[in-house]
Amino acid sequence: MNVDRESLVARQVAEIIIGYVDFLEIPDEDIVNPDNAMQMMEYLAAQLEGLEKGFLRQLVDAFYAIADESTGETREAVRNIPHGFYLEEALAADDPVRLAELEAIRDARD
Amino acid sequence: MVHASRRSSSGFSHWLRTGRLPPVRTADGIELKFNPWHDPTDGRFTFAGAGSTQGVGTRDSRQPRLRRGARGGSSKSTGGPPAGPDPRIYSKISPKAKAGNAKQSHPIGKFAGGAGEGLYDAVKETVTGTYSLLTTNPVTTIKDINSGVAAMIDGALAAEDTPAHVQVQRAASAVAHMSPHDLGHVVGSTVGDAASAVAPGAALSKVSRLRYLRTLRPHTVYESPKIKNMKENLGKEPAPWKDYNNGAEGAQPGFAPALMRTMPDGSMRPVKFDGIDGDYVIDRKWAVVNRPRARAQALRQSEVLAQHRLVGTWEVPDEIQKVKALKLFKDLKYAISR
Repeated sequence: MNVDRESLVARQVAEIIIGYVDFLEIPDEDIVNPDNAMQMMEYLAAQLEGLEKGFLRQLVDAFYAIADESTGETREAVRNIPHGFYLEEALAADDPVRLAELEAIRDARD
Repeated sequence: MVHASRRSSSGFSHWLRTGRLPPVRTADGIELKFNPWHDPTDGRFTFAGAGSTQGVGTRDSRQPRLRRGARGGSSKSTGGPPAGPDPRIYSKISPKAKAGNAKQSHPIGKFAGGAGEGLYDAVKETVTGTYSLLTTNPVTTIKDINSGVAAMIDGALAAEDTPAHVQVQRAASAVAHMSPHDLGHVVGSTVGDAASAVAPGAALSKVSRLRYLRTLRPHTVYESPKIKNMKENLGKEPAPWKDYNNGAEGAQPGFAPALMRTMPDGSMRPVKFDGIDGDYVIDRKWAVVNRPRARAQALRQSEVLAQHRLVGTWEVPDEIQKVKALKLFKDLKYAISR
């Protein structure tokens, strides 16, 4: 699979995940049971962390690209997906320097 | 109120400095070392009027003496130990002693024993974060008594000069010496906020220590947990994350133990967990997520645990998830304090 095609697939998967997360975060408890939603979100997080690193990189970049094309709350919500699911940390799992840097960024941000 | 707050801080500071609990003193500053009241079932000290007593006049030579200036029955005690409890003395001292003890707050009650609750366990690659109980009584929350205990404990546990495990052991030891009444008092008043604050700073403790604490839960103080088993259907396909969640202590596949949360409008909503171990409800996290939904869940769990006066436990499968959980708790603490 060439890079362009890989990026295209990553973007499509990112859009699926955005829709999935958007649904799970519906605040109305009569529509989505919040505890079940959390279990599905934890499942998603584990699945994303387990992706092949090259594809995960493409996926994270796709989230950022989609966020840049969006506006308002959607922009922030999409941009926050890699942050909320610790995807950059998953990519840097073997790089302690990068992990320390990410931790500092996270501390500053939170 | 401010005075009480200072006494709280003082008690905790004493413990931090010495590793011992502050002594009980009379209004005259006399240190008391003897308590004739015991629970006959387990031998623990109790407050006057609870359990059984040997009576003031029955003290034998092995029992510690009251110091100079202590009042009440000291002359009788020198007359030699009777063979058994003296009913006259028993009935004579009970009503007064009850009233006196009701007014005298026990110093350990001021001690924020919540430190002992804010444990993180690492055993068999399962890390357990214990957090708990935001008390719903506005009078007794740490914020409202303005004692700053939560911040103080947090700071103390983060202190670099004392290893965290030593601090946690001290806290556990302190809790171990509390009577059920004392522990109940602390759990009901301050431990919740303290534990929320402590959890991120507390490091590792042996699981046996936590189990020891669990045995000290004041079962007689509060009602038993109102756990309901709710049907849960997350698909038929077997998956490791489902097996993990179903492997929690007390878990039943296809059901989720739930506590009913009372909403501000009086309606009830369930908060699901994965297991239950005594008074501890367990939520297993296959992966920790820091999303609005996750933060809301932690707060909902805190709220329902406070309503039922229970302790919640997060269990995660590895060190990576533990770090995330710690970070999330830390973030939540800041969110709460704002």
